[in-house]
Amino acid sequence: MPDSLPLDSLPYDLPELVTNAPLDVHRSTVMPEWVDWNGHMNVAFYVTAFDQASGAFMRNMGLGRRYVDGKLGMTFVLETHVTYDREMREGSPMRFTTQLLARDAKKVHLFHEMYHAEQGYLAATNETIVMNIDYASRRSAPWPVPVAERLETIWQAHKPLPKPAKAGRVMGLSKRA
Amino acid sequence: MKSAPYPIIDLDLGIPLDRHRVTVKPEWIDWNGHMNVGYYVVAFDQATDTLCQQIGCGWEYTREKIGMTFVLEAHVTYDREVKQHDALRITTQILDYDSKRIHYLHAMYHADEGYLAATNELMLMNIDYQSRRSAPWPEFAMERLEKLAVAHATIARPVQAGRIIGIKKKK
Repeated sequence: MPDSLPLDSLPYDLPELVTNAPLDVHRSTVMPEWVDWNGHMNVAFYVTAFDQASGAFMRNMGLGRRYVDGKLGMTFVLETHVTYDREMREGSPMRFTTQLLARDAKKVHLFHEMYHAEQGYLAATNETIVMNIDYASRRSAPWPVPVAERLETIWQAHKPLPKPAKAGRVMGLSKRA
Repeated sequence: MKSAPYPIIDLDLGIPLDRHRVTVKPEWIDWNGHMNVGYYVVAFDQATDTLCQQIGCGWEYTREKIGMTFVLEAHVTYDREVKQHDALRITTQILDYDSKRIHYLHAMYHADEGYLAATNELMLMNIDYQSRRSAPWPEFAMERLEKLAVAHATIARPVQAGRIIGIKKKK
């Protein structure tokens, strides 16, 4: 099946582009319903929290809720890898940083770090691949033209950053925990 | 600890473990009209509870203040969408284990249509309740874990295990 053509424009105003690298804008708090019987944020809700950080990255690209509500497109996660580094309790403030590791015509490869916003420790990392989806066909499609342009500017800013130590991990028991 | 101070269910040596069933709840759906990425992990984490019940380390293990299990690392492949009220079937294969950890992979299938919806590779560690630090599995758990792992080693390793995330170069 041939690719659908990219959208030439978007029918809403795009936010001012943030080119700081890594992106350091997303903040959140551990919700009571995210805590499990072990008294800490459950593994799944780390992924939810990281997904919201992906949302912040997407908004900076010019996507987000208006993109979906306008029936223009969506973004789907293809794959994700989480390292759980420290526990987070109910009410803990979180700070997220996001580095763009790679991009192509339809996808971005992101690396998020979650920090306890007050105590400063690294709580978790999340490496993820997000793909652009055409709204009508629910199939992959190239980024809209203005989004691709912004992505290229973001990429130029993130490209010089070193690859994070926890990126590209393979799971296994060979190494000591 | 030689035996658990609560009853443990009979060991299921079916290969892979194929006991977990769940239905996609309305609150698991996001604005894209499908199960949100976080709730795939909720569903998979419940399948981890099903695995932990097999080794006697389910809810009672924490309720009795003996221990807990913490996930160290997780890798999810999102293979197909699932919608509200879809019936899911989750199978579990143990890939490896040691005195404190289990490395395993869940596969989520659409229970009626049969397609693979997602996989979740995990590293789980046993935790001492008091210290909240890693600790060896209790004897009753280790004994069961060994039997399960031996059984699960007789089938092929899933292709989704050991993946590295990346954008493939153009074909």
